[in-house]
Amino acid sequence: MADYSIWVLEYAAVEKFPFSVMMYGPQHQGTRKLPYAYALLKGKGETILIDTGYDHVAYGEQLATAYGVSNYHGPREVLAECGVKPEDVTSVFITHAHFDHMGAMHLFPNAKFYVQKSELDKWVWALTLGPEYRFLTGGGDPADIVRAVEAAKEGRMICIDGDQQDVLPGIDVHLAADTHTYGSMYVTIRNDGARDGEDKWIFAGDLIYTYDNLTGLDADAPQIVPIGLAVGSQHNLIFSSVEMLKSVGGEVRRVIPVHEDRLRTTFPSRLTDKGLQVVEIALAKGEKSWVG
Amino acid sequence: MDGTANSGEERAVLRYVAAARPVQQLISETLTQVAGFALLLMTSRRRAVFAEGALAGAREAATRAAEEVRALAVPEIATHHHHHLHGAAETLLHACVAALESRRIDAAEQTDLLVRALRASSDHLRATACLLPGFELVDFGQACCAAHAPRRLLQEVT
Repeated sequence: MADYSIWVLEYAAVEKFPFSVMMYGPQHQGTRKLPYAYALLKGKGETILIDTGYDHVAYGEQLATAYGVSNYHGPREVLAECGVKPEDVTSVFITHAHFDHMGAMHLFPNAKFYVQKSELDKWVWALTLGPEYRFLTGGGDPADIVRAVEAAKEGRMICIDGDQQDVLPGIDVHLAADTHTYGSMYVTIRNDGARDGEDKWIFAGDLIYTYDNLTGLDADAPQIVPIGLAVGSQHNLIFSSVEMLKSVGGEVRRVIPVHEDRLRTTFPSRLTDKGLQVVEIALAKGEKSWVG
Repeated sequence: MDGTANSGEERAVLRYVAAARPVQQLISETLTQVAGFALLLMTSRRRAVFAEGALAGAREAATRAAEEVRALAVPEIATHHHHHLHGAAETLLHACVAALESRRIDAAEQTDLLVRALRASSDHLRATACLLPGFELVDFGQACCAAHAPRRLLQEVT
């Protein structure tokens, strides 16, 4: 029986996202839907998020008009689909410091936040290089660092230095240095609690955007193909993908890319009346299904 | 502002936008650096020692930004924007002073001063991003939603 119930909750989407960004290499391959989502975990007395999403108040209009991000809903509405309120969230793992993953810390007043030390350190360092290096700092919002300071003052900001096991019971984090960002991390949930158990799930952050990053597009000749956005290297993205895949015994569906639209057909899911997907990855003992 | 600015007032606004945008960027970058130092200070005073050189540079940048804000020619229509830009620069200076003091004094009141100044600067900066186009604070080009949309460059409106 699983220790944690796990859902992936869509909170916005780009309906027509170029495939060439989701996967490095293939040009002129059309578009796919790119959902924006975060993961919700419940179990062991904890209510956990992996990433926070962003706050529409800050730049929602800009995202909608310039980038085609549509159907944004805030965490109060989104979490309610699984009977959770933002105040209930006890811990948040920030996979990386881009606005759509870290941009809503202030909406979770009781949560502790876990982020890689190098993610924040190197972003701040990159800003000292000058505007011609702004590619290295894009996607980050200064306000998020200020919010991180406020959380730190309240003892709610925990900087992790590299890999760490059992940050919470059965939950490990792993540094994927110099990949999508300087200090991206992925999160492993050992859902049977065993050190080398088989019921593992990995939340990949933006180390992959789609399952196709783990398989390639040719079923007869599978290969790892990295995403098309990195401040680090494709080399590091490939090797971190291999690490994740090995960790779950090569079972691709257990490495979860929250931007993958096909999660809804890979796992039980439902479409809410707001047009958002709720994907149910696992149910802990005593937890009811929210997609049934 | 669609690239056909004809009146004197419109041209004055465009000149203000062109001059104020780099200052706002400087404030934004410096704010992030000072906030980053504050974060180091609150999570590991030992690591914060390594960032002290950057903090001194940040104070110089904040001083320069404040001077440049004061030197801007502000058309009437941009006074509200300028008020917030000025507020962002001045409170950033306060944050720099508080951060430098925080190295010596490990006290809750000092930390409060620093955090309040950072918050005030961040809020003023956010206001500048909302009041006029071309002052967006996040470069979405390296984020999941972007890379597919044409950029609206400042040059297009000047």
